[in-house]
Amino acid sequence: MPPAAGDPFRPRRARPGPVRRRAFLKALLAAGAAPALADLLAACGSTGSSGGADAAAGTAPKIPSPSNPVRWPLSTTHPAIKSGLKVKRGSTLRIYNYADYLGPQVIKNFEKKYDVNVNLSTFNDEDEALSKIASGGLGLDLYFPSYDSIGKLVGADLVRPLNHDYIPNISHVWPQFHNPWYDQGWRYTVPYSVYTTGIGWRADMVKEDVGARSNPYDVFWDPQYADNLAVLDDWHTAMSMVLLRNGIKNINSTSPRAIKLLHDQLMAMLHKTHPKVTITMYNDLPAGQYGLTQMWSGDVVNAQYYLPKGTSPDVLRYWFPEDGRGMVDNDLMVVLAQGQNPVAAHLFLNYMLDPKVAAANFGYIGYQPPQNSINPDELVADGYLPKTLKSAAVLPHYFDVGYRLLQLPPAADQAWHQVWQEFKAGA
Amino acid sequence: MNALARAVPLPPARTRRVSSWLRSPWRKPRILLGITVLYIAWSLLPVLIAVLFSFNAGKSRTVWQGFSTRWYYGDPLRSVWHDPTLHSAVVHTLWLGVLATVVTIPLGVTMALGLDRWRGRIPAGANAFVLISFVLPEILLAVALLFVATVLVTPLHLGTVGQVVGLVTYQLSYPVVIVRSRLLTIGKQYEEAAIDLGASPSGAVNRVLLRMLLPAIFASTVLVFADVIDDFVIVRYLSGGSSTEPVSVKIYNTARAAPTPALNALATVLLASSLLVVLVGFLAYRRFTRGERRSIDMFAGEG
Amino acid sequence: MPDRSGRTRAPTGQRLLWPLMALPGTVWLTVLFIAPMYVVLAVLFGGVDPILRQPVPVWNPVQWDFSQFDYVLTHIAGADGFFGPALLRTAVYVLVASALCLLVAYPVAYYTARFAGPYRGLLLTLLIAPFWISYMMRMLAWVNLLQNDGLVNRVASLGGLLDVHVNWLAGHPVTVVLGLVYGYVPYMVLPLFAGLDRIPAAVQEAARDLGAGRFETFRRVTWPMSRQAVVVSMLVTTLPMLGDYYTNDMLSASPQTSMVGNLINNSVLTPGQTGQAGAFVMLVLVVSIVPMLLYVRASRTGVEVES
Repeated sequence: MPPAAGDPFRPRRARPGPVRRRAFLKALLAAGAAPALADLLAACGSTGSSGGADAAAGTAPKIPSPSNPVRWPLSTTHPAIKSGLKVKRGSTLRIYNYADYLGPQVIKNFEKKYDVNVNLSTFNDEDEALSKIASGGLGLDLYFPSYDSIGKLVGADLVRPLNHDYIPNISHVWPQFHNPWYDQGWRYTVPYSVYTTGIGWRADMVKEDVGARSNPYDVFWDPQYADNLAVLDDWHTAMSMVLLRNGIKNINSTSPRAIKLLHDQLMAMLHKTHPKVTITMYNDLPAGQYGLTQMWSGDVVNAQYYLPKGTSPDVLRYWFPEDGRGMVDNDLMVVLAQGQNPVAAHLFLNYMLDPKVAAANFGYIGYQPPQNSINPDELVADGYLPKTLKSAAVLPHYFDVGYRLLQLPPAADQAWHQVWQEFKAGA
Repeated sequence: MNALARAVPLPPARTRRVSSWLRSPWRKPRILLGITVLYIAWSLLPVLIAVLFSFNAGKSRTVWQGFSTRWYYGDPLRSVWHDPTLHSAVVHTLWLGVLATVVTIPLGVTMALGLDRWRGRIPAGANAFVLISFVLPEILLAVALLFVATVLVTPLHLGTVGQVVGLVTYQLSYPVVIVRSRLLTIGKQYEEAAIDLGASPSGAVNRVLLRMLLPAIFASTVLVFADVIDDFVIVRYLSGGSSTEPVSVKIYNTARAAPTPALNALATVLLASSLLVVLVGFLAYRRFTRGERRSIDMFAGEG
Repeated sequence: MPDRSGRTRAPTGQRLLWPLMALPGTVWLTVLFIAPMYVVLAVLFGGVDPILRQPVPVWNPVQWDFSQFDYVLTHIAGADGFFGPALLRTAVYVLVASALCLLVAYPVAYYTARFAGPYRGLLLTLLIAPFWISYMMRMLAWVNLLQNDGLVNRVASLGGLLDVHVNWLAGHPVTVVLGLVYGYVPYMVLPLFAGLDRIPAAVQEAARDLGAGRFETFRRVTWPMSRQAVVVSMLVTTLPMLGDYYTNDMLSASPQTSMVGNLINNSVLTPGQTGQAGAFVMLVLVVSIVPMLLYVRASRTGVEVES
């Protein structure tokens, strides 16, 4: 759809320019083309076609999963940096992350150690983050995505491959992250944190043991907790919980039946219990704004530091299936192609994988790093967790049996988003 | 005068009722006074309490734990002084205030003069548009400019440039409205007298009109500056990263996450600078307009 | 105002001077206010790119694709009308909040304009004060007060005598509406004050001298003479409220209090839904155009009466 001749506006994406086209071709190579093309066409059809040129030149990127590991192609437009470079003193490192997801003292020490200014920007959810990154021009160096965005980030050529010479500390990380399925050969990513998604509650505000229910997820539909609960403001995580409640283990389902179920049960939840939709459980639960919430394990660990004076951490409870059959995730660190300071970015990755730094950061954010030196079985003994929150420890074997949030094909992604939009509109 | 004419005819005097205190037209308006006092308390007390808690010695924003300046300076990590993100938010906010004001005022004042004296369809339309932009929900402009910054290749980038452009566009109506209402009270006679005495048209504007407009220009400067540093919607959508996030955005982001009294301290710092600017502005304004009534109303931007 | 300059033709230099002076500001508004609205249309009627699903604007109206706009319109009413409740809620919240604003602001403005006497300057300063306090800070203040262990609950429980645990921030419409009233009422007090202040005290006194009671004077003199100011001040508060989403975010964060501003804010950065934000922007614009024209007319006549 070429713009009219003499158009005063120069559209950036009206049709793929040379760089874009290369990105599409790469995605095409990565994916082996044909099957994904149908999805793409479906997506174009339903949102308004973005032009025949796009459809012909590109395709949706490949979707990695544990059974389908992916080795991403190396970016040619943004090659990895050379070995042995020195960071410029006094330069700025721009980090893009969730709020309260990086210890301030950890940042300060890094600044001191390398004489670099760290500039931390925050986002509310990954959709917002991707949109802002894609708009370019922000010059962000480091981003903390979940693995379901890797395909998009590589596909749109937004990330820079890593030079492993700068990151010897990878050796301190759990072995399964040395060659992860979402990024074979860790070409673009290093792991940052591991966490589970379960249910957190306050024993003084919720009288029952939620974990003892035959189906603990039912509490979100239980009218006795109306106005007293919250779900995560993260479309995929919140909606997957609905599927798990119904015993559907494919939490990345594209089937219309599953999506209908999502819709109906989310709306039912809205009317039965009026949940808050937020990501600040680590503050709200200890503050007593509600007594029960869907929660990331890291947040419930962190919550103990936000309790008002005089309230014992023992009131905090967390449930995650003991057999590990729940949502498990890990967040990553990637170097963005648009950043001006890739050397400092590499140094920061390595710094965060240092066992001492990782432990200090854990103490601040509550999210466990996948470090060999941190023994998940002894988190209580080591003082990271109160006894009552033993269930918040993330065990390595969870990653063998737990369910993963994967990138969805575009059409399904849109269908899920529409349900979420409807939920958030509060109909 | 029409409204007055319609309003004056009254029913016959009803003297019998005058005895009742409630109906006495000359009694002191105690109820109104009560409402007014309650209103002022309601509108200002919450803010005073928020300011108070910025001096809390503990981490709580609801329980008083003793006086300290820890959240301003003492805390080596999270005080406004030591936390670089809070620190830079204050600096960026004031910087935006200066930049946006410096662009808005000359642009608005010349526009007001031009629109006031230029007769025809174009100025009438432009004038109606200025009035509309005065009340348009801010989010409409913010979304439109966000799209410009993200889907077009123009010099309008997310970050300081985008924010200043957005703020100027949104604030432009203030000086135009204020200066125009002042122009209406001045009339044209002074300028015509100057021209009769041999001044060129532009000379008349420079020497006579601008001088007489100084109070209005001054009032709009203070108003625009104070309004810019309080802005939220435009500066949030058009912010580039943490270095271009002003105080209001920090408050919004952090209030929904895990606020400490440092956030109250941050807001208090902004409040103090805002009040300082207004106070200085007001004293100067009083000097300009000695002997004129309605000075405060004008200053409120609604004259 | 009669145009007294009609007696002489202005010299050419002067005729050119005014358009020249008006030009920069007019151009600025055209390029940065009206043209961006076209960009909104181009995004709304454009497509999305296949990988990140970011908007791809389409500039040529002939090639516009109406599916996103259609999607929004068809989901306002009917069985699938999940946007409808949010829109209705916006209307109700905004109307109730504006009415409450007027109820609070009118007596305050009236008292200050008529009876404040020597305290007039002080009162006015206090009324203007909220203007200089950041909106976000004023909301933050309420977040602190309304927390479970906050001052409101503590005062309500009379220091532990009663067991009051109202969860104010748990998504109650009442909290949101009161937040809106608190946030916007200062914008109403001032234009009301300016309007009421313009009514000559002598007129009201005359009414009373002629035997009208307080209420009668208000109904027959004060209210009719202040109607213009009421209209202007209502519009000055109501229209900006239409785009509010942050009051809601700060004080509720529950989908069940979502307003149209939240719909815009939720979709504007969601991949594949950016066009819908554009649709809501256009919707709000269209809905507010009639009151806006009303406002332009009212403030014009207001200005003329004043001079």
